[in-house]
Amino acid sequence: MEATHDVLVVGAGCAGMRAAIEAFDQGADVALLSKIHPVRSHSGAAEGGINAALGNASEDDPEQHAYDTVKGSDYLGDQDAIQVLCDEAPDDVYQLEHWGAVFSRTEDGRIAQRPFGAAGAPRTAYAADITGHVLVHVLYEQVMKRDIFTYEEYFAWKLVIDDDRCQGVIAWDLLNGGLKTIGAKTVILTTGGAGRLYTGTTNAYACTGDGMAMALRVGVPLEDMEMMQFHPTTLAPSGVLITEGCRGEGAYLLNSEDDRFLKRYAPNAMELASRDVISRAEQTEIDEGRGVNGNVLLDLRHLGAEKIHERLHGTRELSMVFAGIDPIHDPIPVRPGAHYHMGGVATDLDGLTSITGLYAAGECACVSVHGANRLGGNALMETITFGKRSGAAAAEWALTHTTVAVPPSIEAGAERELGALLGRSDGERPWAIRDELASTMHENFGVFRREEQMQEQGRIIERLQERYERVVVEDKGDVFNNDLTQALELGFLLELAECMVVAGLARRESRGAHARPYDYPERDDANFLRHTLTSLSPSERVRLDWKPVTVTKWQPEERTY
Amino acid sequence: MTETSVQVEDPNAPTMAVALKIWRYDAQTGEKELREYEVDAPEWACLLDVLDLIKDKVDGSLAYRKSCRMMICGSCGMRMDGRAVLACKERMKPIVDAGHVPVISAMGNLPIVKDLVVDMDPFWGKVRAVKPWLDPGYDEAEEKERIVSQQDMNVIHKEALCIMCGCCVSECNSMESDPDFLGPAALAKGFRFVGDPRERGQIERLNTLNQEHGIWDCTRCYFCNERCPKGVDPRDAIAKLGAESIKEGIDHDMGAKHAKWFVTSAKTTGWLRETELVPKTQGVVSAIKEAKFALKLLRHGKVPPPVPPHVAEDVHEARGLYELVREQGRDGALGIVQGERALARLDQEKGLEE
Repeated sequence: MEATHDVLVVGAGCAGMRAAIEAFDQGADVALLSKIHPVRSHSGAAEGGINAALGNASEDDPEQHAYDTVKGSDYLGDQDAIQVLCDEAPDDVYQLEHWGAVFSRTEDGRIAQRPFGAAGAPRTAYAADITGHVLVHVLYEQVMKRDIFTYEEYFAWKLVIDDDRCQGVIAWDLLNGGLKTIGAKTVILTTGGAGRLYTGTTNAYACTGDGMAMALRVGVPLEDMEMMQFHPTTLAPSGVLITEGCRGEGAYLLNSEDDRFLKRYAPNAMELASRDVISRAEQTEIDEGRGVNGNVLLDLRHLGAEKIHERLHGTRELSMVFAGIDPIHDPIPVRPGAHYHMGGVATDLDGLTSITGLYAAGECACVSVHGANRLGGNALMETITFGKRSGAAAAEWALTHTTVAVPPSIEAGAERELGALLGRSDGERPWAIRDELASTMHENFGVFRREEQMQEQGRIIERLQERYERVVVEDKGDVFNNDLTQALELGFLLELAECMVVAGLARRESRGAHARPYDYPERDDANFLRHTLTSLSPSERVRLDWKPVTVTKWQPEERTY
Repeated sequence: MTETSVQVEDPNAPTMAVALKIWRYDAQTGEKELREYEVDAPEWACLLDVLDLIKDKVDGSLAYRKSCRMMICGSCGMRMDGRAVLACKERMKPIVDAGHVPVISAMGNLPIVKDLVVDMDPFWGKVRAVKPWLDPGYDEAEEKERIVSQQDMNVIHKEALCIMCGCCVSECNSMESDPDFLGPAALAKGFRFVGDPRERGQIERLNTLNQEHGIWDCTRCYFCNERCPKGVDPRDAIAKLGAESIKEGIDHDMGAKHAKWFVTSAKTTGWLRETELVPKTQGVVSAIKEAKFALKLLRHGKVPPPVPPHVAEDVHEARGLYELVREQGRDGALGIVQGERALARLDQEKGLEE
């Protein structure tokens, strides 16, 4: 065993770093572990902003924020968790400002806030259109200030469970090679999402759902895995994100007939309806022949060059490099792309999972504050608030318990498994399986879902898993062997896809991101106002259970924008 | 409702044959080898896409870093034909159309781990050396946010864009000759705090950054500005640190004295009095040592004779400029930032007219 910590945080994006900082400040010996350097984390690609009812741009309060979030979630969000998020958000954002976050400012020098989709007030605090970048860097500054030890470029592969407790992580050391066991009294999973399940995704190559899959493999249930959000404005072909901030600043969505088509789908909110609504509207326009080469158009031209330069500088840069379009002069072709997993590791309000000592926060977790559809700006907020809470809870537990034990048999088992993978030299390499998984998920488990397509996807995944069992890693070396880690990531993705399909088939209704217009077009609160839980069981592979939704003060209503 | 037609990847998208030469490096054996690869790639492919295709279909052992593929994570810094680039930003089509086979190699000024992967520890060591966190001057924060104007925050706008990719460090000529030079990324990070209106430790920071291997060791080759993929312009950040230092009277370094003499010389006689530059910058002893060299220059007509002092005809223009900067309080970093923003606006307007 390499080392023992009170708290080991796996993943070093916004949630991970915020958790580590909190655990450190509570007096725990804490370390971060990440397969990429902390500032490379995909939190940094968040653009538009972070939601907190600061009331800097207009009257606002946490209650209104909570209601918008509940409604946005299509009533699948747990209202106690949402209340926690919205109540703690303002102080958590002020904290970031005091650490040095470079927020944009109002005329009177306060943190600027812009309107975002499905929000009743301009609530999204922002730093131009690089909010995530700014937060990742300010958090890493605070990590450096505290000199929190970071296992950089360590690929977490397995959780160590002994005595019904999580007691550490087994990871592959990318720079030097070899499996390393890091013991810890508590482990916090903050590994982000799994957008790499899809061909067209805003997510980084690193977003392969590692934490979700590691938790799944030790028996922790995953919640609402069918809920994958499609962001309405992504660039073809790769899915690079164009921020909702564009629409927050006033951009239009047009079809091939130069028509602001949202008036037929969300006549009040128009371009600022929630993401699920807009993605479905766009897909419908494209399907009915009013698209432009499989896209719709995001028009910023009327905002003027000055506003684009000042507040949407990064968006212009992305459009010019990845689409050859200068949004000052031409509309940007955009389409829905896989963006955010509302589902994840089931946790309580402190990030605790079903296993003692194991916590999760951020996109990797499902608390659940986003339910069936996340509001733009709520993801960064969740990373901060629930990162902080899980860090505090893990530290408290660790400081009142003393021992860490990793039985040698667990390490030996991992070595054996890895040896078998590296020992194979004849057969298929992983990339074709990865590409087929991503393209079929996009086709069969996308914006609109059909029973038979989901069933077919289940069979496809099964066949891909059989092929994966015999997969070959070509690089046998120790130094920076990401040929190996990419193969391990594919194993994670396949299991998560299986959970998504099982949960998707079981949810026989349309709610938020789970849209089944062909067989179950309506929301069905009588039967499905509840969370799916998928877990691995030896007998039936993926086992499905249900969990009630926590409703405190907002009864489900019809949801229109 | 019609059939949903999700376009995943157009199978008929036009492709092109892309050839690359890659410097492979095996740290365990120390072997280096330039290998050529050719793959079919979609026409929209960037360098990173091509590397992915090579790793998938030709050689799984090829090592490089990547993550966001949208120019924000800073993982994929490497060199193409000897220039530092982000692999995700470089479109391949124009290169293929030109019939060129680019050479891809690891970034410079950092030890190579394998192939295109460098050891970033020295890079981060220098970032840590500039105390890279805000010193707000208090322990307990007030209840709400601090009140700061957007104009004041704009001072560090460019430095806040830095993604720590290392492209500037790779290209830094000063660092090549002095590996201990703090370098453009760390110094830009330094200015990110010196220029922050919320910072309370400016003077301490400036004193640190004025030490040996600090701001005055930059040779102003401007490679960092030219190669930065995000428009941070690290050399300009170093200039802002210099301006702030002199404004605060931190001028013990030869570099600061050198800069100050330029100003004095310009405002008194309107031209650079080179004969006085050496004693003013390096001191009298050093100047005596250089006297022989100076006489030689004089003999060959490379410098004008120092006596009688010559005053430029339009010296009032230089003096006027000096007074203007002083009266308007535009000495220090703010003046440079305002100048940059004014130039950017002119560029924008020019772009719109075209």
